[in-house]
Amino acid sequence: MINHQKKRRVVVTGLGIASSIGTSLTVFKQNLFNGVCGIGPVTLFDTSGYTGSPGAQIPDAALQAAFSPRELTRCSRCDLLGLLAAKELLVDSEEVFRDCPREKIGVIMGGGAGGMLTWERHRRPLWLGKKSRPAALLSAACGTLADRFANTYGLGGLRTTIATACSSSATAIGYGFDLIRSGSQEMVLAAGSEAFSELTFSGFNSLRVVDPEYCKPFDKNRQGLSLGEGAAILILEEYERAVRHGKTLYAEVLGYAVNSDAYHMTAPHPEGAGMMKVMERALKNAEIAPEAVDYINAHGTATKANDQAETLAIKRLFGEHKARRLAVSSTKSMVGHCLGAAGIVEGLATVLALAGQKAPPTIHYQTPDPACDLDYVPNQARSLNMQIALSNSFAFGGNNTSVVFRRVEKS
Amino acid sequence: MSAIVFTGMGIISPLGIGREAFWENCCAAQHGFCKIKAFDTTRMRCDVAALPEHFQPGQYMPAAEYRKMSRLSRMATAASIEAMKESGLKLESMDRDRIGIVLGTAFGSSSHLDEFYLSFLKDGPRGAQPFLFPETVQNTAASHVAIYHKIPGPNVTFCQNELSAESALAYAINLLEQDLVDVVLTGGAEEVSFTQFECFHALGALNPIKINEGDVIKPRLRGGHILGEGAGVLVLEREEFARKRGARVYGRMGACVLQGGQAVIGHYAREGRALGRVMEQALEQAGLKAREVDQLDLGANFSGELEDLEYSRIKQMFENIRRVTPLKYLLGECSGSSSLRIAAGLLSLKEQRRLPTLDVEILKASGSHDLIWEPAQTGLTRNVLMTFATYGGGVGAVVLRKVEA
Repeated sequence: MINHQKKRRVVVTGLGIASSIGTSLTVFKQNLFNGVCGIGPVTLFDTSGYTGSPGAQIPDAALQAAFSPRELTRCSRCDLLGLLAAKELLVDSEEVFRDCPREKIGVIMGGGAGGMLTWERHRRPLWLGKKSRPAALLSAACGTLADRFANTYGLGGLRTTIATACSSSATAIGYGFDLIRSGSQEMVLAAGSEAFSELTFSGFNSLRVVDPEYCKPFDKNRQGLSLGEGAAILILEEYERAVRHGKTLYAEVLGYAVNSDAYHMTAPHPEGAGMMKVMERALKNAEIAPEAVDYINAHGTATKANDQAETLAIKRLFGEHKARRLAVSSTKSMVGHCLGAAGIVEGLATVLALAGQKAPPTIHYQTPDPACDLDYVPNQARSLNMQIALSNSFAFGGNNTSVVFRRVEKS
Repeated sequence: MSAIVFTGMGIISPLGIGREAFWENCCAAQHGFCKIKAFDTTRMRCDVAALPEHFQPGQYMPAAEYRKMSRLSRMATAASIEAMKESGLKLESMDRDRIGIVLGTAFGSSSHLDEFYLSFLKDGPRGAQPFLFPETVQNTAASHVAIYHKIPGPNVTFCQNELSAESALAYAINLLEQDLVDVVLTGGAEEVSFTQFECFHALGALNPIKINEGDVIKPRLRGGHILGEGAGVLVLEREEFARKRGARVYGRMGACVLQGGQAVIGHYAREGRALGRVMEQALEQAGLKAREVDQLDLGANFSGELEDLEYSRIKQMFENIRRVTPLKYLLGECSGSSSLRIAAGLLSLKEQRRLPTLDVEILKASGSHDLIWEPAQTGLTRNVLMTFATYGGGVGAVVLRKVEA
């Protein structure tokens, strides 16, 4: 059994990203703080007939440049995006995982639709009575990317995939944190990946929650979310080990919490009850008082219901006064809603914010909404002295996750 | 830290609905295979699956509750209702924030997913049916369980193919050990749908059995999967908490170890080192020697690859082993709901009756054989070791232990 009395410190020592605003850490960081919008036309499949057709797509050229034709055929797009996020980070994996027994390195993935696009490319011809290439189906399951990471880099620790829709990969960070803190694992590759598929595109459109233009989180005229695709990786490691090996300490993970609204399959609790509780519990788990929080990377989908409920939850937990002094921003305004990968992409943005002492902006913010009356860091990044940050992820089914990060002072 | 015990179970399985029917059929080594009637299998190489044919959601909840649920969510919710009832937990007097729901499923509500996608294919974006879409996400079953019981505590779903329910169990233990919850409903659910079945068929992974009414079903050893569906929800809590409320205890968690071996995608681990390692670690964590294992329940599933993997390791660890229990030879490959195997192990501990066994050499046999099961036998059963593996390379081992009165 795991020894939870140990309470070892957990730090982030590696970051990998593939998103619509950058497929390298340097470019992503630059675009994140410059407020670059990655939302535009989607070319992966026919989007005519949709009310909300724009999305934050990763250019095919990025994949074609990174992978062989065999890999492009054999792997699902979701797997390719995950492997793309790993390329730069793990270019020297021997160095990253140096002196760590491979069976003590876990892979905890957050998944969404997984290889849905691959399945669709089998299902559509089947429906039309035509032939498909079934071999590609091997890549369709949601858990495949965890296997690919483990097999590619020879990682033999605990390997699993969390699938709680839009909060999956935030929970992956949390579970990775648990495993290292308790000593069950020495290192964890916490990751998430999401690729576009017709199913998710038509699904969110059928619910009429997609903005026909681009998402405008917390803005009075917001009309819904913009879907995005992307993948990110956080390398989590025990603090002492990381210091001993001279690793870059991007931030410390202090704690997290998961819970359920137990209310509705698609709508958040109107008063943000579950959202408030999950933030409260995450802070308790991190042994941090609400007063100490400086920045919140909000779930901020730009749906009417979410943004209002999240604002309310923040105000209820922190109190009106403190809530108004908090910087709260939505990375989704730039990278879209990356669903299963949203938590890890936004967790990575939060880590960069702490490391760079700068809050990323909420772009496309024009008209204040009386129901959303916090400081959303509108349109421009802001230098900020911050020690503690929260990253929120809320999902279909009422699954909520909040992760607490702390700045690591440079020695 | 207090030990962790199992205090309830809800069973919707091909071997029977409810604990008693399930246990009776387990003991009698009655398989749950039947001809598929829910969809057309004419084109496929197999028309058999392990199904809980007589499952009626109306026996558990009003139609208004289950009408919008997929079959997966119905089975999971029904199993959770039975598990709660069995455990004797009184929700109204509990802090519901301290109850977790952690489930596994390999493919989620694949029937609703297919139905939704077909609505899109037929009628385009404007014809896609919005009421079907929410059921396509994998966490739908766990969310329905939370909504039904009004449990706002930790809620997580795991999707790691055949290790989904075991991943859920490991996380449930993680929550209990940190004292973040008092009780967890854990386990898994899986449904057999046309699209899931057709994918396995297209990949050539199904056992080639075609039957007519009244035929004796004879799976081909090493011939491929016989898919199964069902839900197994277990109630897990700290022993101290269970004792205090006077709960009936089925068994104690000895160990749950999950790791990964190297594998080609779509295949099981190439060699058995990782499986051997998790078995050794599980026994070590439980404080047991190999000779103290009274029952060995394997994950063998007619795939052939998994049989080879397990055979090599158990021969190495258990020199004189003769009999094993590959329960999936009765249950089918229930993927995400292999918590049903854990339920069988717990019942074996509770009833002090060892599960039926097959000669270990059956793992090396191929083709059509009569499976000669030695029926369940009454006998001192203190420790059960269970092995788990999934294609892609994940492996796991669980030790269940008898609770002394």
